[in-house]
Amino acid sequence: MTLRPFRLLVLCISLMIPAALCAVVLFLAGYAGQAISFNGLHFLWDVNWNLGDLYGDPVTVNGITIPPGAEYGVLAFIAGTLASSGLAIFIAVPLSVGAAIFLAEAVPVLENHARDRLSWLPPIRPALAMLVELVAVVPSVVFGLWGIAVLVPFLGHYISPTGNGYGLLAAAIVLALMITPIIASTLYDALLQVPKENRESAFALGSTHFEVVTKAMMPMVRSTLAGGIVLALGRALGETMAVLMVSGGGLNMLPTSLFSPISTIASFIVSQLDSAESDPTSMSVKALAEIAFVLFIITLAVNVAAKLLSSGALNVRSRKA
Amino acid sequence: MKLPTLLRTGAAALALATAAGLATPAHAAGISLVETGSSLLYPLFNLWVASYSTAHPDVSITTTSTGSGAGISQSIQGLVQIGASDAYLSDAMVKAHPEMLNIPLGISSQAINYNLPGITHLHLTGPILAGIYEGKITNWNDPAIAAANPGVTLPNHVIIPIHRIDGSGDTFIFSQYLAFSDAGWSSTEHYGTSISWPAVAGGIGANGNPGMVTALKNNPYGIAYIGISFADQVKAAKLGQAELLNKAGNYVLPTPETISAAAASVASTTPADERISMVFAPGANAYPIVNYEYAIVKTSQPDAATAKAIRKFLSWCVQGGNVPAYLDKVHFMALPAAVKTLSVTQIDKIK
Repeated sequence: MTLRPFRLLVLCISLMIPAALCAVVLFLAGYAGQAISFNGLHFLWDVNWNLGDLYGDPVTVNGITIPPGAEYGVLAFIAGTLASSGLAIFIAVPLSVGAAIFLAEAVPVLENHARDRLSWLPPIRPALAMLVELVAVVPSVVFGLWGIAVLVPFLGHYISPTGNGYGLLAAAIVLALMITPIIASTLYDALLQVPKENRESAFALGSTHFEVVTKAMMPMVRSTLAGGIVLALGRALGETMAVLMVSGGGLNMLPTSLFSPISTIASFIVSQLDSAESDPTSMSVKALAEIAFVLFIITLAVNVAAKLLSSGALNVRSRKA
Repeated sequence: MKLPTLLRTGAAALALATAAGLATPAHAAGISLVETGSSLLYPLFNLWVASYSTAHPDVSITTTSTGSGAGISQSIQGLVQIGASDAYLSDAMVKAHPEMLNIPLGISSQAINYNLPGITHLHLTGPILAGIYEGKITNWNDPAIAAANPGVTLPNHVIIPIHRIDGSGDTFIFSQYLAFSDAGWSSTEHYGTSISWPAVAGGIGANGNPGMVTALKNNPYGIAYIGISFADQVKAAKLGQAELLNKAGNYVLPTPETISAAAASVASTTPADERISMVFAPGANAYPIVNYEYAIVKTSQPDAATAKAIRKFLSWCVQGGNVPAYLDKVHFMALPAAVKTLSVTQIDKIK
């Protein structure tokens, strides 16, 4: 066998990606090890989180040194994460389905003679589709800033019964705006892939435009839509900065209304890390690593689901061939 | 043929870039220091470093704003030479890292602000604030608040307590005020840069001092603790500033006189390692929420030249730089003379 330096180089480079992933998982699990054994399983359904008295003398509980009064429970953050992301999906799906169908079906396409006269106009459909995709690359902190400057005062003045706009709904709306373009552009691409024959034969059978879209086209892209939603969910679950700015940072409580202050796992890690670093026992950072591990498992599950669903989408496409 | 040529060119370019990158520090004549930590000290460090660098071109100092906790941990690990922190190291931390110095560089304070149109200087006490943040005092016309404010018409409205969501020196001194003046808070919530805030249904967590100002501005009937460096923004937003009950039993506003009075009353009791809280200090006119801003520095530096550069810069900060020309811009106060001496003695230990 001849030595192929290029192939070897590419192999090494490509192996670095799974290696980095494994290293992160091993580090998280290893680093959080002490916290995992200290917290046990009730970590997952305990609502109260307390770094403890970081200025008090550390105490030893079950052979592990912790700050006095330390108590680590993540249920409130799991609930905040799932509630805000779920609500965001609930808001974003109708918006993105509408946007995708509009782009694929309802954008006026100019007739030949009109196109000649208006040739200086940019093509409308690609321009609009690009706009939707552009929203997907707006940095999340920009959404957060908009949320804090526009959305939160609006919710506070007009919607919230207490006059306080921070909380679950504000976080969900900001997240929904961030993930709408992800779902919309995935679905738009899929709608363009639907074979012309299906669409035209539905028209030939006398279907209205609405029936063509709902009965002939949407069933073909259903699994792509599901895959897009799950991808968007992955983004929403891990979003940090924008959520931190508008969520109201609820601690030690579960959300009870749309205006309850919440914390998500990702935003909570960011907000606590700095104080955790001044913990002489370093238990605080380990507990944060444990929450990060929980978030990792949640997002991993979401991504595996996305993979399964999008491979299902491939099956649909191969059937038409 | 094309690809290998491309690869080789790329590799050559990479090698050149690496060589250039490695060469830069070697060519630089002087020493480079890195400061990181407290976002409250960051603007002051930027003013200091700009002036100091013009006079001392041989030292280059990089300043970054990361948070007090990061300043502490990175200076302990030796990643940076100067860590900036709003809070001193705990006893346990000092026991674990006896080589770390806590050097006060200036004096900061904090205001309690509220959004109650028409009421300019409400009287508040530590126990009242503790009650509000614990969810025990929920209405503005609560008898406890009314008793402290005779003659003031208080609105019958739910209080919205606003706290910092991120780890912060402001949370540290605010919770110290509550812990030192209210036994209940002291035994349950303690004090620290992050607090396990009791669940108050209408409460808000805001990110950073700018987030606190925005949240308070957006929420009538809110109350918040905001670092004095943001006094101008608070004033522009027309928010009220509370007179706080001090240890001597007087209500005082944060003014240069009351902050200096607090500093003066602690100056004589400041120990050699300078780890002391100025919160709830004695003194008839002393404002109760005042603190030293610290540089966290290791006594043993990797080499003598670096140690000398740190000593020189920090000595300038607590002497030549500790003047209103720099401090006024961030509403800090200069260290009392006795504390400057203590700081210089500590700085001399950096070797």
